[in-house]
Amino acid sequence: MNITSEGPLKSRLCHENEKIKCSILKYQLFTNKNKIIMAQQKMTLALFSGSVDKLTAAGVILSGAAADDMDVDIYVLLMGARAFKKENIEEKGTLAELPHLQDEFFASLERLKVNTWIQFFKDAKELTNVKIHICGLAGKIWGGEKLEDFNELADDICGIGEYITSAQEADVHLFI
Amino acid sequence: METSELKALTVDKTVDARGTACPGPLLAAKKEIAGISGGQVMEVLSADEGTKRDIPKWAQKKGHDFMGVVEEDGYFRIYLKKG
Repeated sequence: MNITSEGPLKSRLCHENEKIKCSILKYQLFTNKNKIIMAQQKMTLALFSGSVDKLTAAGVILSGAAADDMDVDIYVLLMGARAFKKENIEEKGTLAELPHLQDEFFASLERLKVNTWIQFFKDAKELTNVKIHICGLAGKIWGGEKLEDFNELADDICGIGEYITSAQEADVHLFI
Repeated sequence: METSELKALTVDKTVDARGTACPGPLLAAKKEIAGISGGQVMEVLSADEGTKRDIPKWAQKKGHDFMGVVEEDGYFRIYLKKG
């Protein structure tokens, strides 16, 4: 606030001006902060399941995150790592839920032209920053020691500490 | 906007996502809106009921103007103005 010798009117005007400046500054900080938060929004997904129903659900959720421009870290744990092995990429897979309705499930996916789970993951990687980390232990369980043992979607092999850190930092954290 | 106003709009881009289920129309909208300029209008055609709610919410978050939905026979026209 500026105090002048030119009388109360100007003093009041200066005061009002400062208030407006403060409001603008607050708004800018608020909007800038929002932009920073939007840019840094992150989803961490622990992908334990290797069954096609859950992988498809993960793919749909991943697509939503991609549409929202979120950064996504996927940590592929135990059973999930098998689905990412190179030799299993063409495997039709099995269902974790309602396995007796498997034929109906696959027929519906085909009729509705729903992407395969792998296509959902590929598309999301093209749209946003998606990193797929294979748990080192999970990889070993299924005979995968090195990155080249997994399909091209996998970015690296990691330890569990990295997953915990990512989950702590995430705005959205899911376990599938 | 009223249906008649929406139908009278000059559309700069039409995205036909009627062949895809959720999340196909949303992803198509996201991909295609990148190809138009701010202030231009895009319509998304979708036969997926959930898209009617999904795209307006997405547009609001992304700073685009959701203008309205017109229901056609078996599908929707969703109008957006790029922000």
